[in-house]
Amino acid sequence: MNDVAHGTIHLDEFLPHAPHKVWRALTEPELIARWLMPNDFKLEVGHRFTFRSRPMPDVGFGGICHSEVLAFEVGHMLRIAWRAAPEDRSSLDSVVTFTLEPEGRGTRLFLTHDGFDPGDPLQALSHRIMGSGWKGIGRRVAAAIENAG
Amino acid sequence: MTTLRDDVFGALASPTRRELLNLLLTGPRTVNDLASHFDMRRPSVSEHLKVLRDAELVTEQKVGRERHYQLEAEPLMKLQHWLHPYEQFWRERMKALGEVLEDM
Repeated sequence: MNDVAHGTIHLDEFLPHAPHKVWRALTEPELIARWLMPNDFKLEVGHRFTFRSRPMPDVGFGGICHSEVLAFEVGHMLRIAWRAAPEDRSSLDSVVTFTLEPEGRGTRLFLTHDGFDPGDPLQALSHRIMGSGWKGIGRRVAAAIENAG
Repeated sequence: MTTLRDDVFGALASPTRRELLNLLLTGPRTVNDLASHFDMRRPSVSEHLKVLRDAELVTEQKVGRERHYQLEAEPLMKLQHWLHPYEQFWRERMKALGEVLEDM
């Protein structure tokens, strides 16, 4: 679900695994590398690290994320900065928060990605389009294609 | 990655054209049918449709004596992807996380 274009992304997912296991997957570098990206992560507030990700030329993101551990509560919450490289066209300066809640025999993992830069011209343009009644249309298109397919 | 054509944004800048696309989401429609939803003359609606056609957001098909307009999904999908690259990114990563947890 998405509030507004380049506003806040909220996702949540039920994982049929205990919270302590999910926490390990979120905080151990070799496990992070397997689902997210190669990294030099350390669970330590203020620790700066980089992620190598897929470049996204459409939004001027070169693929290297400059990140920092902003806050954490063991087993429950991890918050990291998610910034574009200074040489990127993107002015992405955002925050990703993972929150874990026990649910039944598993874990509900909430992901929030926010703090995108509304001053960025690309983002401002998309915001204008999305803010004027366009919101959600792509999803309806996707649904229409699936139904037709 | 595919990029968006510049004229897609120009085409989407008009509320009338966004509404036309909205109407076409449920299926192909004739110009008359589309025009009946607007408080403007049919030639004006046709002008808007031409802009959408030039941007390849819609295509026109002749059925007998009528012209049917239909939505071209691909540029809209690209637009959606452009607007939400990180959402799609995270959906994919969450799926990968589930797989890693299975193997742990």
